[in-house]
Amino acid sequence: KIKDTHVELPFDFKSYMVEKANLVNLALDAAIPVKEPAKIHESMRYSLLAGGKRVRPVLCIAACELVGGDALTAMPSACAVEMIHTMSLMHDDLPCMDNDDFRRGKPTNHMVYGEQVAILGGDALLAFAFEHIATNTKGVSSARILRAISELAKCIGSEGLVAGQVVDICSEGADVGLDQLEYIHHHKTAALLEASVVLGAILGGGSDAEIEKLRTFARSIGLLFQVVDDILDVTKSSDELGKTAGKDLVSDKTTYPKLLGIDKSREFAEKLNKEAQEQLSEFDRQKAAPLIALANYIAYRQN
Amino acid sequence: TSSVSANFDLKTYWSTLREEINQKLDEAIPVKYPAQIYESMRYSVLAKGAKRAPPVMCVAACELLGGNRLAAFPTACALEMVHAASLIHDDLPCMDDDPSRRGQPSNHTVFGMDMAILAGDALFPLGFRHIVSHTPPNLVPETQLLSVINEIARAVGSTGMAAGQFVDLEGPANAIEFIHEKKYGEMSECSAVCGGLLAGANDEEIQLLRRYGRAVGILYQVVDDVLEAKSSKTDLVEDEKLQKEKKGKSYVSVYGVEKAVQVAEDLEAEAKNALEGFKKYGEKVLPLYSFVDYAGHRGFSFADQ
Repeated sequence: KIKDTHVELPFDFKSYMVEKANLVNLALDAAIPVKEPAKIHESMRYSLLAGGKRVRPVLCIAACELVGGDALTAMPSACAVEMIHTMSLMHDDLPCMDNDDFRRGKPTNHMVYGEQVAILGGDALLAFAFEHIATNTKGVSSARILRAISELAKCIGSEGLVAGQVVDICSEGADVGLDQLEYIHHHKTAALLEASVVLGAILGGGSDAEIEKLRTFARSIGLLFQVVDDILDVTKSSDELGKTAGKDLVSDKTTYPKLLGIDKSREFAEKLNKEAQEQLSEFDRQKAAPLIALANYIAYRQN
Repeated sequence: TSSVSANFDLKTYWSTLREEINQKLDEAIPVKYPAQIYESMRYSVLAKGAKRAPPVMCVAACELLGGNRLAAFPTACALEMVHAASLIHDDLPCMDDDPSRRGQPSNHTVFGMDMAILAGDALFPLGFRHIVSHTPPNLVPETQLLSVINEIARAVGSTGMAAGQFVDLEGPANAIEFIHEKKYGEMSECSAVCGGLLAGANDEEIQLLRRYGRAVGILYQVVDDVLEAKSSKTDLVEDEKLQKEKKGKSYVSVYGVEKAVQVAEDLEAEAKNALEGFKKYGEKVLPLYSFVDYAGHRGFSFADQ
């Protein structure tokens, strides 16, 4: 297990994730106190603080530290990407969208607070994400903060996350090819991971070249995340996944295993992980350890 | 009644700016892939009946404080985008359930509920992005642009317009002041304040614009309630009127015409009082004065409304 390069210390990914996720949870809790009207703020907190691995915020902080920035500089943006992720789930779960009653083992937001509050709470989280970055980012120039805001807006809007949702909705029941499947995942999943990493790199003081390398890294692991998700759905039992297995098959959803077969899907996942990690090759190996571990975690997770 | 702004031609000023804003909004949302979402966004943002009051107030406030109107246009457009996003979501069946808006069927009746939700979700970020990408950097320092983004996000958020919509839907009862302040005062206040921020106004001036904008926004709505109560039009309008009164959404239904008219007069005085602080700017304050008169008396209308 000990590598021949004796300077390289083993990286404890689990401790790293727990430590960063705890910091993020504290920051999220503090960012949205219950104000009047209480119910709308409670609805925002209900979904925002419902748990979750905080992969997006940790990516944001890790990218910031990789390019030499302080984690605290990235914290408002790390919270903002989680707020956006949460609001998109709140709206996605609505009866007129995916109509989901449960999320992470808990009743979905509209089941608890009603549809109108779930819509308003989501809208408020979306707006607050920008307010939070604009007012609470410290230790970096206004120019960088504006650039981060612009990036986030681009990645979550009609050229990013929303575009993915729209194409996904419009593809239901239609024949989806590989290109379209990739478009959906690049936008629906990868775009927000891209924002997370790019915001961290911008605020950490990264050069344009570094920011673009990390952007490519994020797009690869974003797609990787979805390919692995598709593979797990057909290869694991519901018990192993902690959610209903074989869902994609039942709903006749287009997936990578359906289009490529399991073996080719696994090869594709390997390729994406390799491409992602190649982007990190010119960074300091030890500083890049968290992002390398995150990519491997996404690639080799079992649920 | 004699008015300070009697000699200022608000209609021409407003119409000219409105055309410019319409053109810039048209350019700001080109149709790309996937077309459905862009069509849906454009449908609401470019609605013919839109008066463009928030952007015009933003530009007027910016010019009052010596700012260049070119500095204000991107923010002016962003105000319309986030405003449209709020209206699209407010009209949904689980919210106000409004079948029409600005003289055309509401967004979800044309594009479906899912697309309407997503169009709103896309218009909020587009507004913020438009400010950053289109404001001429030589005209507005970056810190001021951050203040503008912060101001807009706060105005539409959980203690602003979203709070107004929430209380409108879920009570408590007798919250008409809160609802009017948040649903109508907030956008107007935000528009005036953003114009000031873009021109580099000081804190005192921002406070005056805040008071002014808020009063004008609420004034417009209270007068709307009064005019609606007094009008005896078709059955359809009668139905909408009853609907509104039943829900306690009209100032008149809660307090009666007399009190509503008194409140309107107070708001008019409050708005003009705030403008006293800008006397030193001379005639440049006239657009903002005439806005108060328009909100209070509706001296004209736009032909294509």
